[in-house]
Amino acid sequence: MPGRSVSFYISLGVVFVYCAVALFAPAIAPFDPFAISGSPLAPPDAAHILGTNDLAQDIFSRLVWGTRATLILGFLGAAISVALGTFGGIVSGYYGGRVDEAIMRFLDVMMTIPSFPLLLILTIFFRPGIYMTAVLMGFLGGLQGVRIIRSQVLSLAVADFVVGTKALGAGDGYIMARHILPNVLPLVGVKFIFSAQHFMVVGIGLGFLGMGDPAVVDWGQMIQRATQNGGIILGLWWWLIPPGLAVTFLSLALAWFGYAFEDRINPRLQVMRV
Amino acid sequence: MRAAYILRRLLYSAAAFGISVTIAFALLHFMPGDYITQYLEQIYVIAPPEIVRAYNRVYGLDRPLIEQYFSYFLGVLQGDWGYSLSYSRPVLAVIGEKLVWTLVIILPATVLAIIVGIVVGAYSGWKRGSKIDLALLNGMIFLRAIPSYWLALMILLIFAYYLGLFPLGGYVGLSALDTGIDPLDVMNHAALPIFTLFLFSVTGTYYLMRNSMLMTAGEDYIVTARAKGLDELTILRKHALRNAMLPMVTSIALECAGMITGSIFVETIFSWPGLGMLTFEALKVRDIPLLQGILLIDTLLVIVANIAADLIYPLVDPRVEVGDGART
Repeated sequence: MPGRSVSFYISLGVVFVYCAVALFAPAIAPFDPFAISGSPLAPPDAAHILGTNDLAQDIFSRLVWGTRATLILGFLGAAISVALGTFGGIVSGYYGGRVDEAIMRFLDVMMTIPSFPLLLILTIFFRPGIYMTAVLMGFLGGLQGVRIIRSQVLSLAVADFVVGTKALGAGDGYIMARHILPNVLPLVGVKFIFSAQHFMVVGIGLGFLGMGDPAVVDWGQMIQRATQNGGIILGLWWWLIPPGLAVTFLSLALAWFGYAFEDRINPRLQVMRV
Repeated sequence: MRAAYILRRLLYSAAAFGISVTIAFALLHFMPGDYITQYLEQIYVIAPPEIVRAYNRVYGLDRPLIEQYFSYFLGVLQGDWGYSLSYSRPVLAVIGEKLVWTLVIILPATVLAIIVGIVVGAYSGWKRGSKIDLALLNGMIFLRAIPSYWLALMILLIFAYYLGLFPLGGYVGLSALDTGIDPLDVMNHAALPIFTLFLFSVTGTYYLMRNSMLMTAGEDYIVTARAKGLDELTILRKHALRNAMLPMVTSIALECAGMITGSIFVETIFSWPGLGMLTFEALKVRDIPLLQGILLIDTLLVIVANIAADLIYPLVDPRVEVGDGART
C-alpha cells in the first residue's frame, strides 16, 4: 500500500527534524532557557515568539532546549529496555526448561506490580537526573519486553537450522548471538521505536508530576509550571499548549513510523491490518 | 487442575504484594538522607537533635532494621499502613477516602471503554480493509499516540475554559457548601475526567478486539457457518463475536494498571480528589508513608482485577478448565 510508504518517510522526516533541533538547540534558541529575558507572562511578540512564562523565561527557547531531554529519555530508555528484553527473551526462550520457568514466574510476579507507580517510587528513591530516569524506565520496560522476544525465540530454538548448527558442535552463546539474534532483530527494531515513543511520553509525564530533573529543561516541567501557576485560569494558551503539542507531534510521528516499519519487515501484517 | 491454577495465581499475587511491601519499606529506610530530619526541617529550620531522636523513637526507627521490617510487614497485614505526615491521619484512612472518588470515575470509564472497544473493534475487524475500518484504525492509532496529560489538558481548555460547558475542576460546586453534595453536581464535574479516561483507554480495547476479530474471522468454523448459508449478521453475532471477545477478559487486569496510570494524570489536571491526585500531592511534599500506601493499594487493585479476570474467564468460555497451557 503506497500510503504506508509515504507515512514511513514523512514520520521519519519529522523525527529527524526533532533530532536536528535537539542537536543545534544553542544555535536555534534566541535566549538562554533559564535566563530572565523580558517581562513575565508576556504574550507572543517579535522577540519572544511564544511569549514568556511566569519567571520571564523565553518559552520558545525552553521548548527548543527541552527537545534534548525528551530525546534522551526516549532513546536511552528504549535502548536499555530493548537490550534487557532481548537478552532475557533469548536466554529464556533458547534454554527453555528450568531457566525459562524461573524467568517466567519471576515476570508473572513482577507484572502484577503496576509499573508506573513503581517507577514514581523508584524515581524518588534514586533522586534521579535525567539519565537515571531513562535507566529506570528502561529497566521496568525491559521486563515487559522479555515475553514478546521469548515467544519468537521459542519457535526459533527448535528450528532446523538451529538444531543443525547445534549438531555441528556450535556452543550456546554462538548460536544465540549468530543465529537467534539476527532473526529477532526486526522485531527488536519495532519494539525499540514503540518503546522510545512510550518513554518520551512517560518521561515527560514524570516531569509534569514534578519528578523531573530541575537542572534540565524538559517539556513535562514546562507543562507543570503552566498548569500549576495559573496558566489555565488565565487561559494563557502560548504557555500551556506548545510543550504538549511538541511531544504529541513527536509521539505521533514515532507511532506512525513504528507501524510503517512493522509493515515493511512483516508483509503478512499488511494483509492482516489492511 | 482448576483449583491448583487458582492456588498458584493466589501465590503469585501474594508474592507480588510481598515485593511491594518490601519495596515500600526499602524506600523509607534506604533512601539517602534521613527522612525524619528532612521532614522536621520543614517545620524547624534546623531540626533539634533531641526532637529527631524523639521522633525516631516514636516511629520505632531506632530499632534493628530486620525487626522494623517484620513489624512493618505485620502492620500492613493488620491494616496499619503507617501515618501520613502531610494529612496527619493514618495512611489507610486517607487512601480509603480517596479510593472511592477514583472508582467513581474509573469504573464508568472502564465499562464504557470495554463496551465501545468491543463493538467498534468487532465491526472494524469484521469489515477489515474497508474504508471505515481504515479510518477507525488510523483514528485510534492517532488517539493512542496523544499523551494522556495532554489530552486531559486540551479537553479541559476546550470544553471547560473556552466553551464553558463544564466546571474547570474539583468534584462539587460552591453550592455544596449550603446544600450538601448533590449527585447531579458531582456527575457534572465527573463528566470530563470520565470522558478523558475513556478516550485514553478505548484505543487499547479497540485494538485488542480488532486483532482478535481478525484471528477469529479466519477460523474454520466461520467458513463452515458461511457454507451453511447463514447470513453475515448471524455469523457475526452467534459465531465470531463470542469467540473474539475471549481475550478481552484477560485484558481487564491490564486495563486496570493502565487506568491507574491514566488517573494520576487526569485527576491532577482536573483536580479530581481521588487516588491519582493524592499521588501527585504526596509526590509534591514527599510524603513517603503515603506513597508507600499508594504503591500497596495500586498493587492490590491490580491483584483484584487479575483474580476477577480469572473468575470470569470460565464463565465466558465454558470449554476452558483454566489450565497451564491456556495463557502462557
